[in-house]
Amino acid sequence: MIPSAFDYARPENLQDAFALLAEHGDEAKLIAGGHSLLPMMKLRLATPSILIDISRIDGLAGIDATRDGLKLGALVTHAALAASEQVRKLAPALADAAAQIGDTQVRNRGTLGGACAHGDPAADYPAVLLALGARLRIAKKGGETVKEADDFFRGMFETALEGDAILTEIALGPAPHSAYVKFPHPASHYAVVGVAAKLELQGAKIASARVAITGVGDSAFRAKSVEKALSGVDAGDAAAIRSACIDAAAGIEARSDVFASGSYRAAMAAVYAARAVTAAAIR
Amino acid sequence: MTAVVGRAVVGTPTSRLDGREKVSGEARYAADWPFENPLYGVLVQSSIPSGRIDSFDLAAAESAPGVARIFTHLNAPRLVPMDSPPLGQTFLPLQSDRIDYEGQHVALVIAETLEQAQHAARLVRVVYERGPARIDFRAHLTDEIEVQGFFPADTSTGDVSAGLGGADVKIDVTYRTADRHHVPIEPSATLADWRDGKLTLYDAAQWVHGVRIAVAHVLGIPLDDVRVISKFVGGGFGCKGFVWPHQILAAMASRELGRPVKLVLSRAHTFTAHGYQTASEQRVVLGATRDGRFVAIRHHSWTPTAISDDYLETCATPARASYASGAIETRNRAVRVNRGVPTPMRAPHEGVGAVAFECALDELAYALGVDPLEMRLRNYAERDPTTGTPFSQKNLRECYRIGAERFGWARRSPVPGTMRDGDTLIGYGMAGAVMFTVRMPSTARITLHPGGDVVIETATQDIGGGQYTILPMIAADALGVPVERVRIVLGDTALPDAGGTFGSSSTMSAGSAVFTAAQELKRLLGGRRSVSQPLTAEGKFQPEHSDALSMFTFGAVFAEVHVDRDLPTPRVARITGVYSAGRIINPKTARSQIIGGMTWGIGQALLEASELDLGLGRYLSKNLAGYVVPACADVRELDVTFIEEVDEHASLLGAKGIGELGAVGVAAAIGNAIYHATGTRVRDFPIRPERLL
Repeated sequence: MIPSAFDYARPENLQDAFALLAEHGDEAKLIAGGHSLLPMMKLRLATPSILIDISRIDGLAGIDATRDGLKLGALVTHAALAASEQVRKLAPALADAAAQIGDTQVRNRGTLGGACAHGDPAADYPAVLLALGARLRIAKKGGETVKEADDFFRGMFETALEGDAILTEIALGPAPHSAYVKFPHPASHYAVVGVAAKLELQGAKIASARVAITGVGDSAFRAKSVEKALSGVDAGDAAAIRSACIDAAAGIEARSDVFASGSYRAAMAAVYAARAVTAAAIR
Repeated sequence: MTAVVGRAVVGTPTSRLDGREKVSGEARYAADWPFENPLYGVLVQSSIPSGRIDSFDLAAAESAPGVARIFTHLNAPRLVPMDSPPLGQTFLPLQSDRIDYEGQHVALVIAETLEQAQHAARLVRVVYERGPARIDFRAHLTDEIEVQGFFPADTSTGDVSAGLGGADVKIDVTYRTADRHHVPIEPSATLADWRDGKLTLYDAAQWVHGVRIAVAHVLGIPLDDVRVISKFVGGGFGCKGFVWPHQILAAMASRELGRPVKLVLSRAHTFTAHGYQTASEQRVVLGATRDGRFVAIRHHSWTPTAISDDYLETCATPARASYASGAIETRNRAVRVNRGVPTPMRAPHEGVGAVAFECALDELAYALGVDPLEMRLRNYAERDPTTGTPFSQKNLRECYRIGAERFGWARRSPVPGTMRDGDTLIGYGMAGAVMFTVRMPSTARITLHPGGDVVIETATQDIGGGQYTILPMIAADALGVPVERVRIVLGDTALPDAGGTFGSSSTMSAGSAVFTAAQELKRLLGGRRSVSQPLTAEGKFQPEHSDALSMFTFGAVFAEVHVDRDLPTPRVARITGVYSAGRIINPKTARSQIIGGMTWGIGQALLEASELDLGLGRYLSKNLAGYVVPACADVRELDVTFIEEVDEHASLLGAKGIGELGAVGVAAAIGNAIYHATGTRVRDFPIRPERLL
């Protein structure tokens, strides 16, 4: 329960952080809230020789509503997202997810960017970012790039983020008809199954849907056959929504552990997909 | 001595006399005993399930700060072989290079501080030579062996094959239960203090005299030189009943090093440091007439045992005593695997067997279209169906009647899947419970002091059953003094011998000894009410076995289960249990015992399984995150009733045992309720949601 020895640096700005990353390479780990990294270090699953603490870098903790939606700094905490009126109005699925992460202490320290960069297969945000079509801004020494969420989450603890890069901002279009629901692990509160849904409604019908699932596969994924099946479905028809969601985990090799088997996760993906869509439809 | 008129103590709900000590933290558990200048031990356990130790590399560990000694089979003293029980396993620790199971102790690191010992234990390098390992007993049922357990492996009355041949309806089903662990909140701990040629052990023990006998024997020291003290035990459930290698190792290390040694097991180490409850494969074949009367009962069981030791979980026991049938055949076999030695766990034998037997009976009732309760009444056994002898006492018919009434069994709709509340499927299920009565020879001493204080001394244990309260109640009642004037000293081999606190035996056994001592004290007092010098009397309980009577406790258990239609998580909404279990000394602690047992039944039904890697022979989660036990939110309304009765054959008090009975039949009642709710019959316990998909 005691991490191996490490150095600690707290750069004032991104340029200093890039310099430290360049200097220490693979030996360095970025830390913001530390709520995934520190437990791994205590178990010595991670043994960085230096932590680069980016939590005090200015300008990365803002929640800004723009004409195009939301711009969220990577250092915004889960608690701040859950409490934000703007987030609840423009991207309720994100507020849903933020409010259900861990416990109060975790939500007060853990950050949006940190949770996304970590790439945990049972993390909540990846499903939301996929469903909402988020764009992730990544800064490097040479400049910036923007990745679609669809291209960002690549596998278990694997993202498009390279070792010398820092995730700085997440941008979302408005998604008022969106929701995130999950079956939390009773001890860790990680998603055994978590589903985010975003709907475009046309009158009483679902014009289009984006549905993404976390906790089930090696990383969060879009349930594209469900999205297709939902198109044109009456948003108030619970039975039709259930039936459209039935193959939510089709083609995915669902993970098994002592708490839930793969087949149970796959079955719950369908149940929770229907619940997410139903919740999104009445927002 | 103050005379108490018109106040019977026995039978009055009485709060625990040790409650204040426990909630205030004053109660001293094994690891709490203060020691001057102790050393600390940490075990190193085998990472392979079979083979031998080729070599150790101890250089780093031995040169780590604070290390006093690292014991391995290469330097540990030879131990004297002994039988089980009192040993939990006859395979003694650190005696050879042989590895029989994953998690076997291969080294004991002793250091000046706990942290230093933990650190050095991590530095111990072991080179193994792997041998072939057999882990999965189910894959080797044909390699069954006959071993001697606590009960006969086989019984047979009548002609089962003929009975089945003539049956109108037959059920032939196989049930499975899972490996389970006791996981008491207090992990086992032994503090050994070798001083001037004498050994004192402060131990977490359900049987202090058993520890004394075993440790003295295997270390080759006189019995009189060993004292074992166990004042409070934070849950035992069987895992502290017999004597396991860590207790021996702590004593050995203290003797070798001439200093006190504290060996407190980590949660992970407990998973293989003591026994476990075996998984089981149970085949139940039932034959009945069209009107629901048994013509034949066959119950066969297979369970794992260890390479070194014979342990038999006799699951095929409930059929021996439960229902009337002209033909009953029971058979229990074991399969050797490379795993630790199993041991009894609340509730053993009948507790594991009832899962299969009482669910199979439910299946037969549905097949016949007979109400499951009516089915049991039609086959009510007035006498022991295996021996033909009368029961010492049995009021099970009353249990059924009162239980059905309290539970509202009549509201049950007979067809599965027809009781609903919105998205919640509702099921009613019931089962019978039967448990063999075990009694222990016991002695006790009572002293009346000038001023009126009464002190009881007996080497029984209170592992949560309430003996700290119950035994003073018995003495207070017999002597006519308020219970507050009675103090008890227990859990110490310096006191008069009493048996182990297992087999649901302590209240009736130690209690009868206390009762006898109190009667003797009264006789010595000859009508006096006070004394000027302490006056002591001794009492003894020597249970006499009689072939003329069968002695069991009984119960009827009813469960309501709610299953979410979508998830589909089963939740136990309420349980009603009614018990025919002799005289109840303290209704308050008795209810605690039963609701505790019911909670164990909920775990057995829905949650508890020690998941095993069938390649490595290793439990996947040696912790309480992966071994899931019921939490408060899993346990809702529990309704307990005892039939008012006195079984004068069982003990001088008319009392029997209830420590295990409450855990019997609960899982079957829940399984039956799940079937009633969903129409899905699950024969693989625990019934996790995925089995209901």
